[in-house]
Amino acid sequence: MTIVLGGEQVASVIEAITPGSVTGHDSSAAWVRAETWPAVARGLHDRPEADFKFLNSVTGVDYIDHFVIVYHLTSLGHNHSAVIKIRCGEAREDPVVPSAVPVWRGADLQEREVYDLMGIRFEGHPNLKRVMLWEGFPGHPHRKDFLR
Amino acid sequence: MVEHEPIALTPTPDNPLFRQTYELDRSEGAVINQMRATHIEQFPDPLIEVPAEFRRSIFVGSIDALLNWGRKSSVFPLMMGLACCSFEMIASAMSRWDLSRFGMEVFRASPRQADLMIVSGTVTWKMAPVVRRLYDQMAEPRWVISQGVCATSGGPYYESYSVVPGVNKIIPVDVYVPGCPPRPDALIYGIMQLHEKIKRYSLAGRAAGRE
Amino acid sequence: MTDGFLDNAFFRNIYCNLASSGSDRCAGGGPFGDGLLPPGWEWLAFLVTAFVTVFVVVNGALMAVNLYIWGERRLLGRLQGRLGPNRWGPFGLLTPIADLIKVLSKEDIVPAAADRLVYSLAPVLLVVPVLLAFAVIPFGSSTWAANLNVGVLYLIAVLSVESFAPITAAWGSQNRYAMFGGLRAVALLVSYELPLVLSLIGVLMIAGSLSLVDIVNAQDVPFALVQPLGFLVFLIGSVAEIQRAPFDLSEAESELVGGYHTDYSGIRWGLFQAGEFMSTMVSGAIIATVFLSGWRGFDFLPSHAWFFIKFAGVLFVMTWIRATLPRLRIDQITSFAWKGLLPLAAVNLLASAVLSLIWPRPSVGELWAMAAVNVVVAAAAIYVLGQFGPKPGERPRPAVAPALGATGREGAA
Repeated sequence: MTIVLGGEQVASVIEAITPGSVTGHDSSAAWVRAETWPAVARGLHDRPEADFKFLNSVTGVDYIDHFVIVYHLTSLGHNHSAVIKIRCGEAREDPVVPSAVPVWRGADLQEREVYDLMGIRFEGHPNLKRVMLWEGFPGHPHRKDFLR
Repeated sequence: MVEHEPIALTPTPDNPLFRQTYELDRSEGAVINQMRATHIEQFPDPLIEVPAEFRRSIFVGSIDALLNWGRKSSVFPLMMGLACCSFEMIASAMSRWDLSRFGMEVFRASPRQADLMIVSGTVTWKMAPVVRRLYDQMAEPRWVISQGVCATSGGPYYESYSVVPGVNKIIPVDVYVPGCPPRPDALIYGIMQLHEKIKRYSLAGRAAGRE
Repeated sequence: MTDGFLDNAFFRNIYCNLASSGSDRCAGGGPFGDGLLPPGWEWLAFLVTAFVTVFVVVNGALMAVNLYIWGERRLLGRLQGRLGPNRWGPFGLLTPIADLIKVLSKEDIVPAAADRLVYSLAPVLLVVPVLLAFAVIPFGSSTWAANLNVGVLYLIAVLSVESFAPITAAWGSQNRYAMFGGLRAVALLVSYELPLVLSLIGVLMIAGSLSLVDIVNAQDVPFALVQPLGFLVFLIGSVAEIQRAPFDLSEAESELVGGYHTDYSGIRWGLFQAGEFMSTMVSGAIIATVFLSGWRGFDFLPSHAWFFIKFAGVLFVMTWIRATLPRLRIDQITSFAWKGLLPLAAVNLLASAVLSLIWPRPSVGELWAMAAVNVVVAAAAIYVLGQFGPKPGERPRPAVAPALGATGREGAA
């Protein structure tokens, strides 16, 4: 069974890799500052004590006044998993997060899907287009304020 | 564990893949948007109209009977599955329900050779131009069965942002089979109803409601 | 002119009733005395007789193909645990007739981009050679349309024309899927033509004739026993040549929609289907004639019955193969032809050549001796060849694909 790292453990691991990038933690996840995310992701992937080679999923959440991106990671070597949350900006307008595709290629389609349905831009994504809906669709339907 | 060289990724606007496909995606999206704007009204159900003067003609009547018997006895379905209903369609061709009893096991992959389009499952707007094109590519005479509530009216996705509210908005439908998904028995019952319908076609009277 | 044809009982009966003075073969004429036509009108008698014979053979083939399609569908159904067509007519016998009526009354679509002449020619190119091939097949002890002294050569020549049909259809319909299917079909046909013909040559050396009638007469022991390797290669090769499963990758539905007949609808497509099933029948008839001693059998059944029993047996085996084996890839199929069947056919040819030097005019006992030697040769050849191929359970290592960049198309501008 995979060991699920708590938020505090994940935060300490990240803090050891890139100091000053963690803004806080809750029981299950560590919160990471958006600007430092590329360095944190690279470290989580490459450093032997973290060794998160596998990205389970990318999720977008709409909290009415801001958006949050959730990355679920698993290390196949150490057999442990972690949850990273990133807050995209302070307001609803133009939420931006650095892309994780340079680190995990599997993030490609998932980030495109989040962009498609939630309208969150992933900076540095190689091919950020709609994937479920068609180009020219008005709006992003999984936002809470989307009305048909 | 195999370590790979980090791959240099170019961001969106400079990426050749993005540049090459974006215009294509835009034009496809324009087609879908136009379809969504224009296909508001549903196509009327195809009716069978046999003119009165032909109904009494023995010659036309007997030719009709022969042709319609032939058509109803060899309805080749199109090998097209859209969603979960397609598994019921597949099951109805397998050994327990066995569509081949009616000479229908010949699922044709090419629409040119198929007679019956079983719209099996949810039709999204992104798929709608494809369904329409497949229907256009089929040779006359052709029939359509709408299998399941999603294809019939949108079903649980009624008024969804991405689902066609009934496939009869984009193609005329002959037989509707309700269910979510309908069991193979129900689909076969729908096919029997289609057989009854085909028997009433006529040489002279074309089915009403076609374009 | 007519003497060669008068071996045929069917032909002789009609001709001798019409012509006043034929050859010696119909001395005394038919039951109407000297024949219905006045002297000097033998050409008309020949014309009428020839027409009737061709009419019977062609329409017999076309009706038989309906029966065969029904049989195959029923058999496939039973082999897959289904019932098969059983609703329309007794035992579903009218289902192929219904298919015919439907196909005839269906809209005939010619794509706008198609090359109309080539597009229309392709189905004809498939059907006509198959019908021509029926001409030389002896259905009974004296029932055939023509007993050519170059019968096997004629069959090979005529059936080679058939391999133009896929590429013609593919070129004519200007369709990418069709083009893929056509090119695959040509690769397949070119590969399998060679072992197919080579495996026949052994038979010809023993029989000492190219005429199918003479080959049947020479089979005191069925050539399937005398030439087991040739029989095996010819069976596999002809299944490939008619592009049935497991060699049906030219119309692989999961990859190529319909292959070379993707764009054909209505009766043109019906002709393709009929042509494919008829070529299966021709292959079955050739195997039954050349390797299974054709109409010959024991006396309690007429010769025609023996022919059709063997014919139906071969068709059953072909349907069985189709229901059992999955489709192969194009590289597996072509390498099987060149690395597997061609060496086997060559070994068979060599063994037959040596044996026919030892026994130039084999008697029955010598034929059995040949059979014994050839069975040993076949087993040895297959065993030795098996040592070169992949072992059971062994998979070739897949080639490592070059790492793709973010674009998926590195090097493209």
